[in-house]
Amino acid sequence: MSGWLSFLHDALDYWPQILAGLGNTVLLAVIITVTGLIGGVFVFYLTLSPNRLYRRVTEGYISFFIGTPLIVLLFLMYYGLPQWGLRLSPLTVSVIGFTMNVAAYNARYLMTAYNGLDHGELEAARAQGFSGLQVFRFVTLPQVLRMSIPGLTNQTILNLKDSSIVFLIQYTEFFAQMQDLAARNFQYFKTYLVAGIVYLLLVSIIVIAARQLERRFVMPGTRA
Amino acid sequence: MSFLQILTLLAAGAGYTLLVTLACIATGLAVGLLVAMLSRVRSRPLQFLLGSFTYVFRGVPVLVLLFLVFFGLPGIGIRVPPLGAMMLSLGLIAGAYLAEVFRGALDAIDQNEIVAAEAMGMSRLQILLSIEVPQMLRFSVPGMLNEFTTVLKYSPFAYTVGIPDIMKQAMALAATTLRGLEIYLAIGLLYFAIYKLILVAVRALERRFRVPGLTPP
Amino acid sequence: MALLEVRNLVKEYDGKTVLAGVDLDLEEGQVKVVMGPSGCGKSTLLRCLNRLIDPTSGQVIFRGEDVTRPDTDVRALRQRIGFVFQHFALYRHLTALENVTLGLRKLRHMPAREANEKAMHELRRMNMHEHADKYPAQLSGGQKQRVAIARALAMDPAVLFFDEPTSALDPLMSREIVAVINQLYLDNVTMLCVTHDLFLAKYISDRVLFLDEGRVRAEGGADQMFSDHDDPRIRAFFGHGPQDR
Ligand SMILES: Nc1ncnc2c1ncn2[C@@H]1O[C@H](COP(=O)(O)OP(=O)(O)OP(=O)(O)O)[C@@H](O)[C@H]1O
Ligand SMILES: [Mg+2]
Repeated sequence: MSGWLSFLHDALDYWPQILAGLGNTVLLAVIITVTGLIGGVFVFYLTLSPNRLYRRVTEGYISFFIGTPLIVLLFLMYYGLPQWGLRLSPLTVSVIGFTMNVAAYNARYLMTAYNGLDHGELEAARAQGFSGLQVFRFVTLPQVLRMSIPGLTNQTILNLKDSSIVFLIQYTEFFAQMQDLAARNFQYFKTYLVAGIVYLLLVSIIVIAARQLERRFVMPGTRA
Repeated sequence: MSFLQILTLLAAGAGYTLLVTLACIATGLAVGLLVAMLSRVRSRPLQFLLGSFTYVFRGVPVLVLLFLVFFGLPGIGIRVPPLGAMMLSLGLIAGAYLAEVFRGALDAIDQNEIVAAEAMGMSRLQILLSIEVPQMLRFSVPGMLNEFTTVLKYSPFAYTVGIPDIMKQAMALAATTLRGLEIYLAIGLLYFAIYKLILVAVRALERRFRVPGLTPP
Repeated sequence: MALLEVRNLVKEYDGKTVLAGVDLDLEEGQVKVVMGPSGCGKSTLLRCLNRLIDPTSGQVIFRGEDVTRPDTDVRALRQRIGFVFQHFALYRHLTALENVTLGLRKLRHMPAREANEKAMHELRRMNMHEHADKYPAQLSGGQKQRVAIARALAMDPAVLFFDEPTSALDPLMSREIVAVINQLYLDNVTMLCVTHDLFLAKYISDRVLFLDEGRVRAEGGADQMFSDHDDPRIRAFFGHGPQDR
């Protein structure tokens, strides 16, 4: 019990840094969730292209980013690029790396949803005289996005959790600050336990928010 | 440093990467199967326990759990070797995700077949082993493939606890050769190759055991 | 001695009475058909008899032994009753042959070779031996049902239960199954068959029971039941309303 008290004391001392770290974590998670979604929609759009070459390239892109660890990509940009005199900030590297990676995953969720779509509807829209892009914007995308809500929610949770790896490229987010705290008070167990609980709480917030979202946006009759 | 030397170092690293990946997949499969099976037992306390397990282990980042196990547990008198720490973090997390995959697959099994097996006079265990598990495993292939890929992609964290995997070798090489760009690009391709290998292996297995017309309804 | 004697069988679902005291006898070698309006408890009756559902009260005496007693070996009982379902319920991950051998291997502990031989014999009897290596998804409805019957027969059951074996089939396939069951009838297989199919009932049955509101309302020969019965409800069910007179 006294161990927890002294831990609390240290944590309070270190509070401003922890809070700043938490801010950085949330900032990164929010940015990559948004950019990852936009990127995902873009990549998804390309997979529908009538041009075979485009399709092949985007499929290769998705496959490659699903098959390689994000951390390698981050190291490549952060520790490799300076070799060419290109120094990017940890946040920039993180946003670029995550966006490319998350876009691939999101595109795949959207593709899965698209495959479950009633394609007669798309034909009907074409027959009405809508252009390809219009069909995509007004018919395909709204449905596919709604059907992908569970997948996209999962990805958002993953984004938050995976943001904990960017301390490895010197971005001082929440977990980095917690490690600093642990290095000061030598209470590794307690510190990392608390870190885990904080992530769990943040995840819970996303889960609850997603439930609300789903209740509002899921089309009636599309799910058993 | 010659190109050949670099290759040998990376190959040695690949061995450790495979070891970590397979060990964590094995842990995940064992835990996932156990949790999915137990989720069939009608007991409120047990269900609460299993629910909490999957929720917690799907909610905590791999790296945080890894550090908690490897750097934290010694503080309360439990020392875990590096590979064990990977299995207790990445492996258990994979187990929580796989449990959900398996549970969904179990729910997809046609209830009529279970009743038919009961009517035949089969025991719960016999039904589980001859009807439910074989179908469940087939339904779970896409989910398992996903999860195996995820395990491979998180395996580089092994370097943080001192396992000399591909990542660790790459970092050492980058430091000595100052050619980080090429090296990280090379290991990116190496991971991609291992991913393709897993893909091919799982697909081959799936084809070997494929049953025409057996898809989750 | 009767193979099966059912005495005052009652089944309630939280206060709602589905079976309200059913009495029924089935002799060795006899075939009885149970008919009645949808929801009258036919499936429930069959499932109570092999204890897939536990009856609320009453007795089921199987070869002189009351199998509703709590110390009954339910699995042993079920192994002596072959059950054929409306929707076939073949194990989708097993071939036709494996569907038939599963019970022999797991429940009778028969060596694989012997089980295969026995299964092939039953499949041949159903004229399905050429499809032994196909999976359920590769078979037509009628073929599936024949495999399901072979699967039940392979266990050498004392009695076969059918729960609407032809309702999920188109008329042609339904004829096919009627012919198969009729052959079993000629082979003196004891059967209890729930059906809506008048054609099937006429073909195979010695006796027809009319189940209504949880009770056996009438029992008689097929001709007697289908033509002008005294009971107006039965007449209505079989389509001889007052207007037919
Ligand atoms: N598990 C259950 N809980 C509550 N009520 C049930 C349950 N199973 C069946 N019933 C009710 O029992 C009644 C009889 O069902 P049963 O399936 O035996 O009818 P049936 O005669 O076989 O009908 P059908 O011809 O449609 O197959 C129905 O009203 C049904 O709603
Ligand atoms: Mg019924």
